Order: sequence, then structure tokens, then C-alpha cells
Amino acid sequence: MSYKIEYRDICLKFGKRNILENVNICAKEGELTGIVGPNGCGKSSLIKTTFGFYEYNKGDIFIDGVSHKKYSNKELSQKIGYVAQENNVVFNFTVYDIVSMGNKDIKAVYNALDELKISHLVKEPIQNLSGGERKMVFIARALAQNSDIIILDEPTNHLDINHQLFILDYLKKSGKTILMVIHDLRLATKYCDSIYVIKDGKNFCFGKPEQALSKENVYNVFGINGEVLNIDKYGLDFMI
Amino acid sequence: MNLYKDIRLTIIFFTLTVLLIFSIIYTISIGSTPISSKTVFGILVDKIFLDGKGLKEGIWAMPDFQIVWNIRLPRVLFGLICGMGLSVCGVVMQSLVMNSIADPYILGISSGASAGASFALLIPLPFFQGQYQTSIIAMVGAFIASFMVYYMAKITGGGRIHPVSLLLSGTSINALMSAITNFLIFIAKSPESISAVYNWQMGTVASASWNNIRLPFFTVFMGLMIFIVFSPKLNMLMLGDEYAYAMGVNVKRFRFIMFFVCSLIVASLVSVTGIIGFVGLVIPHIVRLFVKSSNNRVVIPLSAILGSIYLIWSDALARSLFSIAELPIGIITAFIGAPCLLYLMIKRKFGG
Repeated sequence: MSYKIEYRDICLKFGKRNILENVNICAKEGELTGIVGPNGCGKSSLIKTTFGFYEYNKGDIFIDGVSHKKYSNKELSQKIGYVAQENNVVFNFTVYDIVSMGNKDIKAVYNALDELKISHLVKEPIQNLSGGERKMVFIARALAQNSDIIILDEPTNHLDINHQLFILDYLKKSGKTILMVIHDLRLATKYCDSIYVIKDGKNFCFGKPEQALSKENVYNVFGINGEVLNIDKYGLDFMI
Repeated sequence: MNLYKDIRLTIIFFTLTVLLIFSIIYTISIGSTPISSKTVFGILVDKIFLDGKGLKEGIWAMPDFQIVWNIRLPRVLFGLICGMGLSVCGVVMQSLVMNSIADPYILGISSGASAGASFALLIPLPFFQGQYQTSIIAMVGAFIASFMVYYMAKITGGGRIHPVSLLLSGTSINALMSAITNFLIFIAKSPESISAVYNWQMGTVASASWNNIRLPFFTVFMGLMIFIVFSPKLNMLMLGDEYAYAMGVNVKRFRFIMFFVCSLIVASLVSVTGIIGFVGLVIPHIVRLFVKSSNNRVVIPLSAILGSIYLIWSDALARSLFSIAELPIGIITAFIGAPCLLYLMIKRKFGG
């Protein structure tokens, strides 16, 4: 099976400081792939190399088996939807203005807003919205693009637990290829098909959630004692 | 919802355009020799659409025609393009550096032009003497300053233009250029040339004639077309570089091109008019507060028209408020603009 998006041997330096060293990450088609790791391990920097926000020093990124350099900026932006970690907007746009930057088609805009149940916000100025609502708007912008791949940096921050589960449920069922940086290990375990653990800018391990986040790995990476439990036997949506 | 919004915007756009045409005709009629608006309208229609037929037949008096067509019309048109150019550059600069206090002069263009102009006025070079020398050297100064700002920002940002480093290097170069200007004034001997520098710094459109408004006319309209075409990309840039990259904008190249076009427009205006402050800052904000959005597809065209109207009327006031001398237009633009902006900010709870 070919990979939908693959980061191969990515090296990134800020000045003399190594941020990423030979990092490899692959996301399979239609699956939800998570990237976890401690603060400052280079997770966000890695996904910011996708569009050239950071220019990696070595390596390559393949989309549908083709190097991303072969695509024009526009083609690349159509193939991949992106949601940033923070969504601070200095100037005032309406929700419609923002979502329509993803797709000019009015139907696609309303469709994306409907899917996320935020169509009542369409006329609102973005600055009047809470952090969580803004996050939803920017996820809607990425959805409106109708791209096969969506890359998200911390999709759940600023969201309440209900919306966290709602968004991840939605993404899981969307059938799109999802690559996301996620801090919440419980959510990562519940939703991801596979997880990459990054430590100090290097691949630490990867695999199914229970393998990647084994007791030993969690201790070695985060320095805490923790374990993945199977919540199905408790009959709960989520364990707090 | 969009249909309603479109209709509302169309009405605003149409009303402002009518207001602009009315302003042109009415302000031409104002001056030391009053000419009725009807005559002004008649002369303009005659000259533009009928190739001066009425003039040849003697319907319009020759002195009236001279005043309207050769003295006041170029001046009013120049006010129009200054207002238009400064306002749209204000919108674009604010979008590019993602900061609402940016204005067209943020790249050090005004202070660079000032330093150049004071050089020409205080230590005249032995060629192109007079007004042209001032304009040319002011323009050179503007370009030197803006490239210095741009490259300083690029170096401090490690090859990347950060909005904040751009604002900081802009402020530094501005201070440096002002120091040069002040030093030149300090060592200057004749009081007349010092007052010439002083007047230049407050701006005027009085020197407009059919000859010297062609270049600004060209740069402003070319620039306006470019900005309107690229307004969706400017919107994307306003969401931050990260999103702009993700939406397919080649951020580095795009920013450079936009800065270059802005510098070209502002330098071509400032070299003829001197510094007309506050227009480029206040008009974009008034438009944004009015349409309750920062969408550049709307804000750029509306700012262009509102800026024109604003400057035409400021100039009309500048030349008619005091009969003995003309007031520098910069005083009026700030005197009216500042209270207007404050009023709107209070009324619309700006930023809330």
C-alpha cells in the first residue's frame, strides 16, 4: 500500500541548532496518523515544512508518491488542507470571509459550516468568537477545500471535551487522510490508527497506539508513569 | 445573506462614485476667482466629449477655461490620485505587516524623501535646478530608504521578513533619515530655504500641472489594478504567514512585489507633494469600520474612492480657508482625519 503523504529523512536546522534529524513520517490513505512528543521536540516544525514555511535542509516530502517540489504552490494547497495551532486574526474578517478562502464556492462553504454545526456563526466577525469557535472556523476552512489530506496542528486545543470528541469523530469518519500533531495522549490513543513518537527531533518509535505508547515508551519520552487502558470494557466514550 | 451584502456594497460603491464626481466639479468651482459649478461642468463636458466645440463657438470665456482646465483640474485630479494612492498603499502595507498602525510611509519612504528634498533645497546641485531637482532627489532618497528598511528587516529576520522586524527597521531608518534632515536644516544658512523644507514636509498638491501628474497617474492606476487583482492573496496573508503558505501563496516573493509596488506609488507621489500624513492610516480604518470587515476585495476599491474624496476636499479647504496664504494640506488631513477615526472607534467599539 502506498503512502498518501510521506516525510522522508527530513533535517531542519535553525542556525546551528538541529531541530529535526532524519525524521520519517508516513500517513496511509484514509487513516488518522498522530504525531506526539514532548514540547519543543519538533512536531510542529515538521509539518510547517510541508508548504515551505520552514525550508528543510535535507530530505523530501512525497504526496501520492510524488515529491512536493513537483507540484505548484497552488496544486499543493489544493491537495492538502491545513489547520494551524493558533488562530489569532489581527484584522476583522467574517466567518464567511475566512471559510471562503478555502473554497470560493458558496455551497462548499455552507456545507463545511453545516458539517461542523457552526453555520449560525456565518456572519459573525471572527474577533467576536471564542478561541474554540475560531478553531472550528479554521477547521471548516480546511474542510471546505475538499482536499484528500488534512494536516492539523493540535486540532483539539481551545476546544471543550465535547467538541474535541466531535471533531476527532468527524475527522475519523471523513475517510480523508489525516495527519495531526496531538498532545493529548488519551485522545491520540482513542482515535489514531498509528502514532509516531518524536523525541529531541528524532523518530523515537511508531506503531499502533498501544505499541507506540507502551508504558516503557511513555516513561522514556515524557518521564511519567502511565499506561494505555482499554476503555471499551468500561462502556465509556472517554476516560477523564 | 451574500446577495444582501452585495447589494449594500454596490449601493455604497455607487454613492461614493457619484460623490467623487460631484466633489471634482464642486471643488474646481471654489477658489480666488469663483466660477459656477454649472460652468465647470459645461467646460469639462465640452472639452472631454465635444473636443472643445463650445469653446471655439465662444460659449465659455477663455479665462474661465484656462482656470478650470489648466490650473484647477490638474490640481484636483492630482489630489484625487494622491488620496487614492496613499489610501490603497495604506491598506496594503497594513495587510503586509499585519499591523493596523502601519501606513504607506512605514518603509521609511517619507523620511527618505524628506532627507532627499532637504538636500536639494538646502544644498542645490548644479543640474536640473528648481522643482525637478527636489522631486528627483526626493525620489532617490525614498528608494534608498525603503530598500534599506527592507534589507535590514531581511537580515535581522534571518532571510525571512517578519512583520515586527520590518516595523522596527522602518522606525530605525525613519529616525536616521530624520536626523539627516534635521542636521541639514541645522547647518543651513538661509531662512528661506529652511522654510521651504518646512513647507515641503507638510505637503501640498499646489505644484500639480498636466506635465508632472502623468507619472503619478500611471503608477497609482497600475498599482490599484495590481492590488485589486491580488486582493484575495492579501487576505490570505492577513491570516498570518503560516496560512498564506498553506493556501499556496509564495509569501516571500509576494511580499517583495507588493512592497515594491507600494514604494513605487508612494515615492512617485511624495516626490511631487511632500509628505501628506494620516490619509493612508485613517482611510483604510474608516472603510474597515464602515463595512465591518477587512476583506481587501471590498476595502481596497472603497478606500481608493474615499481617499480621493477626502484629499480633494482637504485640498479645497487648504486653498480657500485663508485668503492670504494656502494652508499645507497635511495639517488639514490630520485635523479632520484624527477626530473622524476617534469618533468611529468609540462608536463602533473598535477591536472589541
